Amino acid sequence: MKQDGLAFFTDTQLTGLGLVIFFSFFIGVLIWTSLKENKANYRKMEQIPLTDGDN
Amino acid sequence: MKNPALHNNTILEKIFYDDDIVKKFLLATIIWAGAAFIFGLIAALQLAWWPMNMNLEWVTFGRLRPLHTNAAIFAFAGNAIFAGIYHSSQRLLKTRMFSDALSRLHFWGWQLIILSAAITLPLGYSQSKEYAELEWPIDIAITVIWVVFAVNFFGTISKRRERHLYVAIWFYIATIITVAVLHIVNSIEIPVSFLQSYPVYAGIQDALVQWWYGHNAVAFFLTTPFLGLMYYYVPKAANRPVYSYQLSIIHFWSLVFLYIWAGPHHLLYTSLPEWAQTLGMVFSLMLWAPSWGGMINGLLTLRGAWHLLRTDPIIKFFVTALTFYGMATFEGPLLSIKSVSALGHYTDWIIGHVHAGALGWNGMLTFGMIYFLVPRLWKTKLYSEKLATNHFWIATLGVLLYYISMVTAGITEGLMWRALTPEGKLVYPDFIETVVRIVPLFWVRALGGTFFIAGFFMMVYNVCKTIQAAPAEQSDSEAQVPMRNAVFAEPDPKVGHSKLEGMATVFSVLAFIAIAVGSIIEIYPTLSLHKYITPANMVEPYTPLELAGRDLYVSEGCYVCHSQQIRPIAAEVLRYGKASTIEESMYDRPFQWGSKRIGPDLARVGKRYPNLWHFQHMIDPRAVTPKSIMPSYGWMVEKETDFIMLRKKLSVMKTLGVPYDEDTVANADIKAQKEAMVIAEDLKANGVNIPKLEQKQIIALIAYLQALGQKGKQP
Repeated sequence: MKQDGLAFFTDTQLTGLGLVIFFSFFIGVLIWTSLKENKANYRKMEQIPLTDGDN
Repeated sequence: MKNPALHNNTILEKIFYDDDIVKKFLLATIIWAGAAFIFGLIAALQLAWWPMNMNLEWVTFGRLRPLHTNAAIFAFAGNAIFAGIYHSSQRLLKTRMFSDALSRLHFWGWQLIILSAAITLPLGYSQSKEYAELEWPIDIAITVIWVVFAVNFFGTISKRRERHLYVAIWFYIATIITVAVLHIVNSIEIPVSFLQSYPVYAGIQDALVQWWYGHNAVAFFLTTPFLGLMYYYVPKAANRPVYSYQLSIIHFWSLVFLYIWAGPHHLLYTSLPEWAQTLGMVFSLMLWAPSWGGMINGLLTLRGAWHLLRTDPIIKFFVTALTFYGMATFEGPLLSIKSVSALGHYTDWIIGHVHAGALGWNGMLTFGMIYFLVPRLWKTKLYSEKLATNHFWIATLGVLLYYISMVTAGITEGLMWRALTPEGKLVYPDFIETVVRIVPLFWVRALGGTFFIAGFFMMVYNVCKTIQAAPAEQSDSEAQVPMRNAVFAEPDPKVGHSKLEGMATVFSVLAFIAIAVGSIIEIYPTLSLHKYITPANMVEPYTPLELAGRDLYVSEGCYVCHSQQIRPIAAEVLRYGKASTIEESMYDRPFQWGSKRIGPDLARVGKRYPNLWHFQHMIDPRAVTPKSIMPSYGWMVEKETDFIMLRKKLSVMKTLGVPYDEDTVANADIKAQKEAMVIAEDLKANGVNIPKLEQKQIIALIAYLQALGQKGKQP
């Protein structure tokens, strides 16, 4: 069946662009979370449940 | 206890956590778990031995199964997550809950909702949309209570004494926001009477919105909150931090973004537009990565502490829960591949899959959490570690028996349904052959369930004994927390994701956007249903009597065993007729495509059998199909159809766009009675002798069944 309202889903350039945007965003997040200056904070954050004084 | 992570010069304040509310939710979890498990066992036994419903309409499979699923999801899992969230959030945010009154309102409101579900579902008040069966007044109550919970939770965040939100809190935020969106969008319905309504969506719209909801009920009610609990309780129980905080950030955002798109994998090969099916499949496959990221993160938290797995029953429960999570989230994407779905859909494989998740993941994690919390909250020791270990083993054995028997049954059914002879004919043309073959596996499943319940009762005994031994004087836990001003006076680290974690509102908005993108892209296009309808294939709306019969079909929960959607697969077309079209369900409110075939598909059952066949089949299915496992519906010959209500029903349908003319709406009851008379006369001519037969429910139901697949303009 022909979907007039959704013809753009068959536009490979647009769907390809979608893939590039989402994939680069994902890679961006990977790099962002791997930045060295975050490490110290992660060490601090991960201690929160262990230091709530309720063991 | 002084908090070592804080600066020495911080002024500490003594506060009390609200333990009473956690205890309340925890006890409710245990009570409702018993109900959910026992309903499940009775339902399982009914499939193995049909007279198990004792001829009582209220506990017949079609009504019992929704009661079981709702009890398991909203009563058992629901109370468990509230217990865990109320306990862990206070500690992670280092403050008492925002409002004790709201906490109690949340608790009692939720129990009242469960109670009303437990009354209305057996009485047959059901919207027959899976996991969204409850009728509109209860839907409104759920919305109100969820808002109460949200206000209480976000209020607690706003008065927190810890600048940064730990990963568990993000998962709770995503849960609260998304469940609200899912519930409200899927429950938009127009009331017909105090306990009946029609959804505004029809056919493929209703199917898409329902499974967007249904799948994300699994995602945001049974997964994200439990992951939040996992990120808190696994490190607590192992007494070491989560394996990778970085991985938890990636886990959270990818899971929240991807999950919302996956719903259409429940509708592969149906008449749902192809693009939506493909999106559902692709995003489901992608989900495998974050799900396993989370599982690995949980399991590796035990690095260097694996010896606890031998000695500590709590760790046993947690590790097994994570293993089942990993297994179920591997199997889910697998089942979402179209060619695997072709085999697995409508079979017991799916039932096995969901129970690996519900019993293995949610159940085990909850039991671990209960064993962790009860001694701490009641300030005593667990009565018996040994009994907890025994509970663990018998429950694991139960889940495995359940899972293996159902996957075996599912693959058997799938293969038998599609088996063709070299000449291209069905090897098993009688559907009943494929049912009889798996009945022994239904017994194995029931045995698995019995083991699981036996383990549960060990826990109940253990918890009771523990509480009995607790000191009589119970008080809230006290904690030393820094002053709020001091916490926020500290310089902000201003790096990476941790900055975002200090900004709860921005964080929540981003989480909302993450789930809104997929929802809008998938749902919006189908709202203009007319674009998908080919005028030449349009069907006629149901006649008044057929609509009355359809409402009975919906109310009895026939969809739990019978699908109404023929897939364009050779064996299905041979068995049931040509594949279902979009137009055939265009007036179906709610859609009744179903998700399971314990009996055959009914999309084209109309005119296939005479009225008398249906009459006998409903009173005693074994009169026409000797080995049938369908319950007898004797009460439909005694109860009468509510004809007067039809005027209102048709007028609501007309408001929703169904092309009924004024005359049909105004005289719906009279027209229906005339239709009923024709069927009743036919039955009388064939020897059925029941006074006032035309008034009985069975006549309306027969009218509907005979209309299935017959509403198109015949070529």
